[in-house]
Order: sequence, then structure tokens, then C-alpha cells
Amino acid sequence: MNGVVPTTVIVAGLVLAGYAGLTTARNQRMQVPLLIAVGVLEVLVLVLVGLVVAKIADGGRPAGGLATLIGYLIATPVVPVAAGFWGLLERTRWGPAVIAVAGLVVAVLIVRLHQIWPVIHV
Amino acid sequence: MSEPTAPSEPAASTEPAASSDPVASPEPAVSPEPAAPQPDSSRTGPGRVLVAIYALFALAASARAGVQIATKFDNAPVAYLLSASAGAVYILATVTLGVGSPLARRIAVLSCSVELVGVLAVGTWSLADPATFPDATVWSGYGSGYGFVPLVLPVLGLLWLRRLSKRA
Repeated sequence: MNGVVPTTVIVAGLVLAGYAGLTTARNQRMQVPLLIAVGVLEVLVLVLVGLVVAKIADGGRPAGGLATLIGYLIATPVVPVAAGFWGLLERTRWGPAVIAVAGLVVAVLIVRLHQIWPVIHV
Repeated sequence: MSEPTAPSEPAASTEPAASSDPVASPEPAVSPEPAAPQPDSSRTGPGRVLVAIYALFALAASARAGVQIATKFDNAPVAYLLSASAGAVYILATVTLGVGSPLARRIAVLSCSVELVGVLAVGTWSLADPATFPDATVWSGYGSGYGFVPLVLPVLGLLWLRRLSKRA
């Protein structure tokens, strides 16, 4: 069973995807509130990564392989950052579309992360 | 497929008439923005979403292959080498779609085609001969481990590139 933190990250990713998708549908480029939402998702992801890293530091090892887990821990925080820059550079409705994809991707990555190592129960 | 722009045309002067051609605009005049300076390029507009997803799969496939080859190559060498080549094709497609010059677009058509053939061939192969694939690749089972995105992506890429070349 997932803890509150991973569930929150997954929900936040989906909410961001919905918000960004709506922005695209309304033919608007990325505005400050959307960028803030991306930042919130990034902070949540970093909190989760910190918790998992702490578990590794405690000597825990995932059954799915440590290298794969570390790959996820590096790749997941990169996604919202990349999407945020993309939204800044692509000043059309398609900037938010990229951010919508990023929100979905973060949600999927967190689900996969917990299939590799369901360790965070807080 | 006839493309008016010759491949030998220098990339710097690709679409000189684009900004003065009102027909080329993909958006209805709803958007008040002067954005989308090159509507017939894959450098902006909906193609950007494709580039983003391609970039993601380039990362996912290469990282996965890197980890697998580095840690347990002997388990399933065929699967891991296929993962690595899939990663290479995704990187090529990402870069060429992102660059968007006529030559890059031609290479993008090629890499999207290779992808489509790859996902169909490897998908069929993985179902017919599961022993060769004790560990999955990006293209196993037609990309079922990745929500069939690997199967849909090259089709979308080719459709998008075709639209661009028609409009150019």
C-alpha cells in the first residue's frame, strides 16, 4: 500500500496534467500560475526522492535492482524541470501540452517506482 | 511523395515565405499572439509535444539498455541490444524532429519508419519466441509495457511529418 507522499505526488501529477491540458484546450500559452503548479510538483517529487534516498542510506535495497531505482530517482525530478523550461520557450498553446504530458509521465514514473520498491509508507 | 523543398537547400534559408503566407498558419485566428513564426516546421506547435515524448522515450530506452547491459548482459543479450538500438533510434528521431530542417525531416521520416518496423518486428518476435526475451525491451509485445506508446508514436510522427511536407 502506498503512503500519503507518493499518492500526493501521483495526484499532483494528474491534476497538473488536467490543468495544463485545459490551458492548451483554451488556446493559452503558459502563464505564471501554471509555472507555479509545475514548481509545486517538482518540490513534491524532490520530497519523495529524499525519502527514498534516506531508505537507501539506511541500508535498504530494492528487489527490482538498485541501478534501475537510481535511474528513476534521477529521471523523475528532471521531468517537471524540463517541462517548465519547455513552457517558457514554447510560447504557444503547445507549451502547456508538453507540461500536461510531463504531469502524466511523473504520475506513471511514481507508480513504476513503487512497483520497483514499495518502501515509502508515510 | 513529392516535396517541393530540395534536400540540398541550405538549412538556414528554409522557409523564407512562411511568415508572409497566411494560408500556412495552422491556428485559427483565435490566438492574438505573433508566435508560431514557422508554422510549417516541426520546431514549434503540436510537433513540440511529439518531440517531448520522443525525448522521454530516448531517455527511457537508452537508460534502461545502459543499466541492463552494464549489470546483466548475459541474461538476455538480444533483448538488451534491441533496447539499445531502440534508444539510438529514439535519440535520432528526437534530434531530427527538433531541428526541423528539410534534411533533418527526411532523416526523421527514416527513423520513424525504422521505429515502426522495429516495434512491429520485435513485438511479433517477442510473442513468437519468448525464450529470446526473458527480459522485456521497449518494443516487446508491441510496447505493451509502455502503454503501447512505442507503437503509436512513430505513426503520429509520420503523420505529422507528412502534414508538414504537404504544407511546405
